[in-house]
This record gives sequence, structure tokens and C-alpha cells, in this order.
Amino acid sequence: MKTDDLINALSRGVEPAERPRWRMNLAITLVVGLIVAVALVAIGLGVRPDIGTARMPVMMKAMFSALAAAVILPVAVQLMKPGRPLGWRLFAIALFVGVCAIATATALMGEMPEQRWQAWMGGEGRAPWCVVLIPILAVPAAALLTWFMRAFTPTRITLTGAAIGALSGGVSAMAYAMYCPTDSVAFVTTWYTLAIAVCAALGAFVGSKFLRW
Amino acid sequence: MADEAALKTLFLKGLAGDEAATRAFLTEAAALLRAFFRSRLRGRAEDAEDLVQETLVALHTRRESYDPSYPLTAWLYAIARYRLIDFLRRAKHRAHASLDGIDVGEPDPDYEASDAKRDVATLLDKLPEKQRTAIRMVKLEERSVKETSEATGLSESDIKISIHRGLKTLMRLMGEEQPT
Repeated sequence: MKTDDLINALSRGVEPAERPRWRMNLAITLVVGLIVAVALVAIGLGVRPDIGTARMPVMMKAMFSALAAAVILPVAVQLMKPGRPLGWRLFAIALFVGVCAIATATALMGEMPEQRWQAWMGGEGRAPWCVVLIPILAVPAAALLTWFMRAFTPTRITLTGAAIGALSGGVSAMAYAMYCPTDSVAFVTTWYTLAIAVCAALGAFVGSKFLRW
Repeated sequence: MADEAALKTLFLKGLAGDEAATRAFLTEAAALLRAFFRSRLRGRAEDAEDLVQETLVALHTRRESYDPSYPLTAWLYAIARYRLIDFLRRAKHRAHASLDGIDVGEPDPDYEASDAKRDVATLLDKLPEKQRTAIRMVKLEERSVKETSEATGLSESDIKISIHRGLKTLMRLMGEEQPT
């Protein structure tokens, strides 16, 4: 078939295009992803036993995670449609990471030198398991977001995969805060951020396979 | 050649359902795409034309993905670039699989400018029957949706949906097709 014939065929009897509604769908996708992650924490890990007295730090950590997700969201939204620049949206993420680094350094400076390492790692003999657990909890949200994104037209699919990964990581970290027994600032600003970065890296890898169209 | 503003006007009219504007836009887009793909696939004019056709179907079936607050050409080239990267990835895959070391030779000089290697019409046969019938009757045989509806017993909206889905499937098939 000649290209001109194809053009004629495509344009013949063309209908007005539909305007896809995405805001509500995206909101529902994120909320469902969060609910599933909360359920997984409640069933699989268990809510921390002192949740009654630790309400403040749990809220703070959930807020931190929500802020991380909110910083990533504009990039993810921008990538839904082709030919839209990212500009300040990437800068906002860099700024967020920069503020986290400063917060970590400031908090660690405030500790006694011999307690710094412990404060960073979350206490005596502990390891930051959130770097593993947050990505696992992020899988349902990431799958839902990928499904959502497939209805749109991402053309930078590796970057889109990374954005989906990071966004689901932020959502998953909100749920993880209910379990996480460590409340020190330096711990959260380092390991939660790193956990979300791991989600982004995995998303970049997986995204280019599932987002092709 | 149309500039950004003229192209955008045509495109937006097309979005509203204007057939002549859609044709004019796709014709202008084809010229831009041809230049874009030819400069990147030097000496492979037929591959370039395959990509032009594939990208035209992509632009058309994904036309609702354009955000009018940004330049239309940015949207157009973003999709073109994506199709090109996808094509090169497939070509690389094929090269490893079967074409390793085979000399594909010079392009046939008798090929017309707008000849593509693959024939979209034959790809239609691979579509599910309903989609194939809808596309064939409305898009190729120039029957109206209403006539097609009466001839096939399908509802008009069913036919419109079948055409849209069929074109999306067609674009995917164009991508998977292994040019020989």
C-alpha cells in the first residue's frame, strides 16, 4: 500500500477524538496501590506494637513518603503524553534529594560521635531492611500504575518506568511507615530515599519491557 | 511545507472530526517524517517508508495523546523518535537472530519514493474478523459507517470501536512484521 493510500484510508470517515479522563483514574490507581500495600504490611509484617504511643513518628514518616511521591508525581504525569518537557519537575526531585542529604548530615552531626553509626543504621545491631521491603511492597502499586500508563502514550519508556517505580516506592513507603520501628531523622531521610531510588532503578529496567506500544 | 501553527490548526480540526484537515495534516506529517527517517536511515529508503507508514498510524490512533499546551511538532517527533528507537531495537534483535553476516545489498533503484517494503493491506488479513471487516469496508471501500452497520448487522458504535482497535493492532503488527 502506498503511503498516500494509507493516509486516505486513515482520514476517511474520521470521528471526533475522545478526550481521555485521567485524573480520577490516576487517583484511584494510587489509592488502591496504597490500600494493598497497607494490607500487605498489616498481614505480612504486622503493625508496630507501640503504634498507640508512636503515632507522631509514624505520621511523620508517612508524610515524608507522601512528600517524596508528590515530588515524583509531576514527572510521571508529564511522561504520559509525548513531547512534553520535564524541566523544573526533574529539578524538584534533585532539590528533594539535596534537602534529604542536608537533613541527614545535620541530624548525624547532632548525635554523639560514637552513636552516629547506630543512629544511621537504626539502632544496635540493626540493618535498614526498608531498602528491601519497600520495593517488595511497591510491586502492586507499580503493576497498577503500569497498567494505567499503558492506556497512554509514553515515548520515553525507560524514564517512565523509573517514574512509575519511584512513585510506587513512595506509596509503599507510606504503608511501610506503620511497621518501621526506627524513628530517627537520619535513618528515614537516607534509607527511605534510597529504597525509593531502588524502586526507580527496578522500574526503569522493567518499564522498557512492559510499556512498549 | 506547513509551519507549526498551520500544522497545529489542521491537527486540531482533525481532532474535532474534520476529514479534509486530517488528510492534510497526515500528508504534511508524512513529508516531515520522511525527511526525519531518511536522514537517520541513510540509504534505506524503504525502511524509512515503512517507518513513515507505521508512525502515521501511530499518530492517528494516538492522536488524543497530544497536549495542546505544547508544540505539535514536539509531539510528532517524540512519537517518531520512539518508533525509530523501537525499529532499531527490533532490527538489532533480528540481526542477531538471523541476518547476521548476510549482505542485504543496495536498495532497489526502481522503488518509488513512497513504496514501503511491507504491504499494509496484507497485514489487514491478520486482524480479527470484525476489525478487518470494519476497516476494509469503511476505510478502504469508502462505505459509510451506517452502510457497514447495515451490511454486517453490527452496531455503528461497535464498528467505530472495531476500527479504532483494529488500527492500533495494525500498528503493532507493522512493528512486529519482519521485512524481508
